[in-house]
Amino acid sequence: MRASRALPRLTLAHLRRGKEGALRALLLLCALSALAVVAAVVALFVYESLLFFRTVPLSDFLGGTRWAPIHEPAGYGILPLIGATLVITAIALTVAVPLGFLAALFLAAYAPPHLRAWLKPVLEMLAGVPTVVYGFFALRFVTPFLQRFLPVGFWNGLSAGLVMGVMITPYMASLSDDVLYAVPRSLWEAGYALGARRPTVLLGVVVPAAFSGIGAAFVLALTRAVGETMIVALAAGRTPAWPPNPLRPLLPLTTAMVNIATGDHEAGALIWSHLFAIGLLLFLVTFGLNALSHRVIRRVRGRFA
Amino acid sequence: MKGAAGAWERAVVVGAFLALPLALFTLGVMLVVTALQAGLWTNMHALEAAGLVLTTRSLNLPDGTTLPYVAAAQVREGSAAAALGIARGDVLVEAGGRAVDRPLAAWSSLAALPGRTLEVPLRWVPRAEVLLGTLQVRWEEGQARVVLAAPAPLAMGQGLHPGDILLGVNGTPVTGTRQAWEALVTAARTGAVPAELTVRRGEVSLVLLFDPRREGELPVERNVWRAWARFLTRIGDPRYPEQAGLLPALLGSLGVVLVMALVAFPLGISAAVYLEEYARTSRLTALLELLVASLAGLPSAVLGLLGLEIFARAFQLGRSILAGGFTLSVLILPLVIITSREALRTVPKTLREAALSVGATPWQTVRYHVLPYALPGVLTGVVLSLARALGEAAPLLLLGAFLYVNYAPQSLRDTFTVVPIQIFDWATRPQDGYAVVAACAILVLLVLVLLLNALAILLRARFQRRWAE
Repeated sequence: MRASRALPRLTLAHLRRGKEGALRALLLLCALSALAVVAAVVALFVYESLLFFRTVPLSDFLGGTRWAPIHEPAGYGILPLIGATLVITAIALTVAVPLGFLAALFLAAYAPPHLRAWLKPVLEMLAGVPTVVYGFFALRFVTPFLQRFLPVGFWNGLSAGLVMGVMITPYMASLSDDVLYAVPRSLWEAGYALGARRPTVLLGVVVPAAFSGIGAAFVLALTRAVGETMIVALAAGRTPAWPPNPLRPLLPLTTAMVNIATGDHEAGALIWSHLFAIGLLLFLVTFGLNALSHRVIRRVRGRFA
Repeated sequence: MKGAAGAWERAVVVGAFLALPLALFTLGVMLVVTALQAGLWTNMHALEAAGLVLTTRSLNLPDGTTLPYVAAAQVREGSAAAALGIARGDVLVEAGGRAVDRPLAAWSSLAALPGRTLEVPLRWVPRAEVLLGTLQVRWEEGQARVVLAAPAPLAMGQGLHPGDILLGVNGTPVTGTRQAWEALVTAARTGAVPAELTVRRGEVSLVLLFDPRREGELPVERNVWRAWARFLTRIGDPRYPEQAGLLPALLGSLGVVLVMALVAFPLGISAAVYLEEYARTSRLTALLELLVASLAGLPSAVLGLLGLEIFARAFQLGRSILAGGFTLSVLILPLVIITSREALRTVPKTLREAALSVGATPWQTVRYHVLPYALPGVLTGVVLSLARALGEAAPLLLLGAFLYVNYAPQSLRDTFTVVPIQIFDWATRPQDGYAVVAACAILVLLVLVLLLNALAILLRARFQRRWAE
């Protein structure tokens, strides 16, 4: 009797506190799911890649110019894939960065507020068009169009890169516009007070103030291009080539992954761990660049807050 | 110096005004062209409904070039096409008054005709035995000779007799039975008709004018609604684009997105509530924030690989809808967290303080005050995530989803394909018809995605209005 008296009495308030604590813990668990995903990716990819690098040295993987994982003897050099990714990304960014940046200048400095309020959701909508649609367009319309005046093949990196540029343009525009719009009005007003006109203020004051943010937007657009799969899988072809030529078929890293994954390979074969090694490379590059640019964007916003 | 700077600035301003219209114009062209291509589906379907399924073949000409032609791949029994006398293997050379060199030309010529019920004039070359009758090959002086053993009524009607030896067509020597027919098809395809047949009858050599083409009017009913209803509700036959159906892919998409929604939305919204309402700014939350933002930008193919290893292999779910849904939820989770946090952030601080000051617990504050207030914003994120998930193909391809399934998935453990993967499959096939059905599937996907986006915009407008009050 005495012992049970000594126990704290359970009241409604206690129950409630218990429920509050449980709920809090549950919510924390959900929040940690992001951490779990990243941890799982890193653990898995590193584990599988280590299996791969036990057989194939890192230098052969990164420096080899022959990619033929299902042939005998197999070649696991991904330089042709990296080259293809770089060429296509470069073409895409050549289209998307100027177009997107200029469009952002218009949105931030010239568009009347109601037009901007309309255009922003439209841009987001366009950024939401499934990429397989762009791939279809590249393969069926852009490539035949290019064939009229360029010696391009049915599959080529140029068409894929150009269409990827069109795809990234709304994304680049929206991100750069966010950064430009975050520049405080006081900076604009200060520029005007000196008697400068709008273009001068825009290019002389606002753009330099937002420069690091625009750089971050550029990097985000770049990771988007590097990781894009469906456009290249449809339009760029399936043939690894070294050195990469944009007029010929190209096999970027992502298409190589699709190629392996859709192929029929024995479970436990080396090609599967090769797939994860490519995945790890893509993950490290894009995750690193993303993390970097998000930090930069946050700092830019923080500075102006 | 100053003038040069001014010119440069002016160029940038002009560029700024042109960039957005240019980008929008390009995308507009893309949509219009796709829609035009998809518009051929009605005609494809109308011709198929009349019994005619077309395919591309080609002839190897003596000069080394190839000549493409259109053949009837399938003629349904009892159909209008069969009644007209067309059979499998016949070569279609003209439709609607236009020469046909590929199936697309036939469907386009139908598209050019007005009205809903059409009488389409067709010209075709029947198969060898119908056109010429029974042929035999006889060796004479070391050369193969084609003999008309029993000419078909068609051939008899144009002056050929039993026992005639066919030496050449339009000056090209004929040395085989198949070649005899191909020479006539070439003549019909290239417009060199009626063909001049060099024939030996007994000891005499004759030149006969022979028209291998047959004509007729095919009654066709063109019905846009029925064509699209068939496309959306049938499983389809993988052999011919005219008989393609989107049902398995639609069901697959529905299943995958449903599983994704059940996993990612509760998880993501809860995570957002924790980060926004409970967590103090600490190193952990800063890390989580960075992880979420970086995860959102990760190539979806990489996350597909994660799904392959964890859900398909470790959890032994295989290539099932369940595995696909889980993989997509990994992809969508960061997006849900980010948009939900933004929505929660717009809830005025005073609302929380008011609730807490009258004795509500943190959970009660969140449950009864913050979440209802932020609901339209959260829903906006949910709807946008649905749209995003519907359009994803790469992670599911890496998971090993099938390019094509010829059944409607029945349960969550079944293998599946989704609409974007089906588009990918059709778009990579070389036949004309698959480009058309791929364009159709794209229209379906775009309508779904854009409707969801429009819904999100509406929700957001509502949200902003309420916030402004």
